[in-house]
Amino acid sequence: MKASAYGKHIGCIALFLLCPFILTSYGVKLASEVLIMAIFVMSLGLIIGFAGLVSLGHAAFFGLGAYAVALLGNHWENTYLLLISALVISGLAAFLSGLLFIRSSGAYFLMITLAFGQMIYAIVYKLEDLTGGADGMAVVASPNLGAGPIDSRLGFFYLTAVAFLISYYFLRLLIASPFGKSVRGIKENESRMTALGYQTRTYKLAVYTISGMLAGVAGALYAYFNQYVSPDLLYWMFSGQALIMVIVGGVGTLVGPAIGAGFFVVLQNYISSFTDRWPLIMGLIFVLIVLFGKGGIMQIAALLWQRFRPQRNSKPAQQAMAKEGNGIESVKS
Amino acid sequence: MTTSTLAMHILNGLAYGMLLFMIAAGLSIIFGLMNIVNLAHGTFYLVGVYVAYTFVQQGTGFWPALLLAIVIVAALGMVMEKVLMERVYGKELEQVLLTFGLSFIFADVVKWIWGSSPLTLPVPSALDFSLNVGLTEFPAYRIFVIGIGCLLAAGLWYMENKTRIGAIIRAGVDDREMLAALGINIKIVFTAIFAVGAALAGLSGVLGGPIMGMYVGIDSEILVSSLVIVVVGGLGTWKGAFIGAILIGLTDTLGRVWFPSLTMAMIFVIMIMVLLIRPNGLFGRGAQA
Repeated sequence: MKASAYGKHIGCIALFLLCPFILTSYGVKLASEVLIMAIFVMSLGLIIGFAGLVSLGHAAFFGLGAYAVALLGNHWENTYLLLISALVISGLAAFLSGLLFIRSSGAYFLMITLAFGQMIYAIVYKLEDLTGGADGMAVVASPNLGAGPIDSRLGFFYLTAVAFLISYYFLRLLIASPFGKSVRGIKENESRMTALGYQTRTYKLAVYTISGMLAGVAGALYAYFNQYVSPDLLYWMFSGQALIMVIVGGVGTLVGPAIGAGFFVVLQNYISSFTDRWPLIMGLIFVLIVLFGKGGIMQIAALLWQRFRPQRNSKPAQQAMAKEGNGIESVKS
Repeated sequence: MTTSTLAMHILNGLAYGMLLFMIAAGLSIIFGLMNIVNLAHGTFYLVGVYVAYTFVQQGTGFWPALLLAIVIVAALGMVMEKVLMERVYGKELEQVLLTFGLSFIFADVVKWIWGSSPLTLPVPSALDFSLNVGLTEFPAYRIFVIGIGCLLAAGLWYMENKTRIGAIIRAGVDDREMLAALGINIKIVFTAIFAVGAALAGLSGVLGGPIMGMYVGIDSEILVSSLVIVVVGGLGTWKGAFIGAILIGLTDTLGRVWFPSLTMAMIFVIMIMVLLIRPNGLFGRGAQA
């Protein structure tokens, strides 16, 4: 990376960290929620955009992370320990389910991950003694990184902001690494990568596991944020919404899913404040994007994306747009 | 557990399985033929039962309401395919976006019109009595549902294997492009199959109304169960949907009795076991993995 590029990054981060000073208290809270969702949706964007694994069960890992904090938080206080437990539990669930599912692809993978997510949902829903069932449970633990409890909205914003930045740069490095390039190669042409001697399933499994871990961390942060967890966090409708955020934000980019998450969280908060018909409006937005998608949010995001980063990264964004049409379709035929 | 209660649970499981079969059959063929995961398929179930409810409230009686609901849902399916689905063939992500969006829209509209408190469709009076089936007394209506499911399965099996339409569908599941190249108007086939799938889901909704009750949210529950059936049974075959539906219907019902704490998880355990042994489902053709 050149010095000027470093400058740009540092500038962006600084602007980002100054956000709370122009936001209301409610805005700061909303920004924390956006950042948590952005981590979750980025983790899903990783497997969809870079590994071609379209999952409809990703909320399971988010929910497992959240419940890990809720349940273990009754016994442990240490925030680091709880976050790592969430990461390990979600990662383990992703690894084990991936072992079974990763050989499937396309629509088949979609349905199987959906069913797996529903299984986890059902288990959490039914273990009433432990999880409170449909009523959910309160989260006792509060975040504390060693410098006293973080109980202000501002403090929590910076916690999520740091988590988001770490996740973002981690994913950036991952994608640029030889490992990331191999994964993208598998998405482009799996048979060729196999012919080149790559254990393609191992690569896919690894990236799926990483994605599950990250989703778990997002879930853990959400448990701290919301102070309450319920089985809705694992329900497939939530997975579906995350998937939509990835698609709307832009498949095959890293920042796109985060933008998609922000777009929907802010819009939902805004619209829900004056009508109960948010699901209807959300559904209409989805359909309109499909009908007029070429001039819709994806396009706008891609254009902005290109403007902000003209040289290096414009190519993946363009490719993502060009591929938008024929995504995973080649799998079955 | 006595034999008679066991028999009752098994019959209940079969009735539930038949309702699932009617949805899964359409879902499976639509998936096999058009390669669409129709996340809005539960919507047809939902719309079917609520429309029938309104007709029954208006005093048409159960059977005319059943027919009208099926016709309306089939028309809805046809319009949906013609206006929207046609644009997204072969684009998986857009399919998810579109069908997911439609399911949100319809669920919310149903909630808007009929409210969110659960309603029940009354059992048609002609079938509102208990039958002695040897081991146990059992509601005649549920026997009727099992009978309809079996008849439908037989009819669909006959159509798939013995008729020209069935040959077209089988050929389409194997290779769409080739089918089109042979001069079959594949657009009409797609629209027709979509409408039939919708009608079957609508039928399931109306027949299921008196058994399952009706509420917004049942559409997504029943959709997930049907997707599991499609995965278990294998893609694009009525037979797979039928056997899969019976398996899942029985597992779910008996699971509720024997392992109440694992109720909803049981069917997914079955699915994972089947996938471990046969990755393409019980009757999958092996082309897909």
